[in-house]
Amino acid sequence: MRGYFFRQAWQNLTQNPWLNAITLGTITLSFLILGVFLILFLNTKGLLEDWGGRIRVTAYLGDSLSQDPLNRLREKILGFEEVQEIKYRSKEEALKLLEEKMPERKELLRGLPRNPLPASLEIRLRGEYQNSEGVRSLVRKMRGISEIEDIQYGSDWLERFSAFMSLLKVLGLGLGGLLLLATIVVISNTIRLSIFARREEIEVMRSVGATGPFIRAPFYIEGLLQGFLGAVLAVAVLFALFQIFLTRVYEPLKDLLGNFPAQFLSLEQMAAVALGGLVLGLFGTQVSVGRFLRL
Amino acid sequence: MIEMVRVSKAYEDNPNALFDITLRVEKGQFIYLRGSNGAGKTTLFKLLYAEERPTAGEIWVNGFEVARLKPRKIPFLRRTLGLVFQDLKLLPRRTAVENIAFALEVLGTERDEVVKKAAAQALRWVGLERRGNCFPSQLSAGEQQRLAIARAVVNDPVLLLADEPTGNLSITAAGEIIRLFEKINLRGTTVVLATHNEGLVAAWPKEKIVLEQGKLLEASAPPLLSGG
Repeated sequence: MRGYFFRQAWQNLTQNPWLNAITLGTITLSFLILGVFLILFLNTKGLLEDWGGRIRVTAYLGDSLSQDPLNRLREKILGFEEVQEIKYRSKEEALKLLEEKMPERKELLRGLPRNPLPASLEIRLRGEYQNSEGVRSLVRKMRGISEIEDIQYGSDWLERFSAFMSLLKVLGLGLGGLLLLATIVVISNTIRLSIFARREEIEVMRSVGATGPFIRAPFYIEGLLQGFLGAVLAVAVLFALFQIFLTRVYEPLKDLLGNFPAQFLSLEQMAAVALGGLVLGLFGTQVSVGRFLRL
Repeated sequence: MIEMVRVSKAYEDNPNALFDITLRVEKGQFIYLRGSNGAGKTTLFKLLYAEERPTAGEIWVNGFEVARLKPRKIPFLRRTLGLVFQDLKLLPRRTAVENIAFALEVLGTERDEVVKKAAAQALRWVGLERRGNCFPSQLSAGEQQRLAIARAVVNDPVLLLADEPTGNLSITAAGEIIRLFEKINLRGTTVVLATHNEGLVAAWPKEKIVLEQGKLLEASAPPLLSGG
């Protein structure tokens, strides 16, 4: 029985090779574009997380702060949900660090009548708050603390990057939705033509008593195969394009990107794309079988 | 075998396609369903194999209550029937033997050798054993008709419904077809043959049901068959 279904499905696929090639091409192209967005999104997200992990908020303290109020302040800030870790840097440590960073100005710095650098708290954020939203939220809470004279956080680039990520997400979802819809329409159209091409056989099948599922099965197999093959082909083309990208674009820019490793889709993600192809194939077939194969 | 009680079928453009038909056909009969074009012969057949539902009345065919048959049960009714259509419905891109094999395959006969053997036997039975590899377009009208009959009987139906099977044939070729149906009938299959060909009915007389403008005009051979 299964042999018959696959033979019929194969016959459907091969009796109109051009139409099926166009269908397969369209599915592949749709998944390819989606795949590009997915890879871009995943890598940008990874890059952002990598950079986000380096985010520090520095709170500069007044000179008059003694040990007890400093301890209380540390406790208070550690109590904020965004905060992972606090490192105290005294005025002396700050000066020493500056001297290390600017050895040529060491003498000049030592010649100053008093240490002009303030003591500070260097605050590291928890993973889920390592983004512009998290930084803003923490800074808002710290602004009202009188012992803190100034706060520094370099989050401009972070905000721009987050906005870019959001844009990428919206664009990917919007375009993805449209492409998936188009894929369903294309698959459904091909199945409709297959049904039309086999209408005489379907009539004979009905007249001799073939059941509905038996008549429908080859069309579902055809749709599922098209969806699956299109998705798998897209992943293969995507992989080839990714290799070209690595050698032509990524390598020259590697240092600029902070040696962040560009990543391809994981095995699970590739499986998800293939599964997506199957689901689209099923939907596309269902649309046509439901409308044109009333048994 | 077949029982119709006060069956009517109305279409939007033909409210009396069939009107108040009551009849009964017993196992083993060979019956002509006579009537001019548009008398309701094809509609009656369509009701019997559940392609259409009656507007009123009750129909039993081979133990199935056809008027109330659930769609998913229809294939099981049709497996007890052999259907020969007016337009034959042969598959043009399949050879004669493949046309018959197809009817076996779609009912789940998987093994190639079983299918081939049964198909070859059916072809032999209708006298087309040497034409198995021909496509329908390469066969004469009579041969095409015989092929359609072979396909209809390959699954051993208990009831054969043939709609105008001699329509385009010469009287000699039509005679051969009738003899073929007689042979099928002798095997125990009930045969109902729709025709508007008076000459054929006169040359090979059988029991008959006569329809005119959707109404039952005459039903011969009581007590097996009774008109209402």
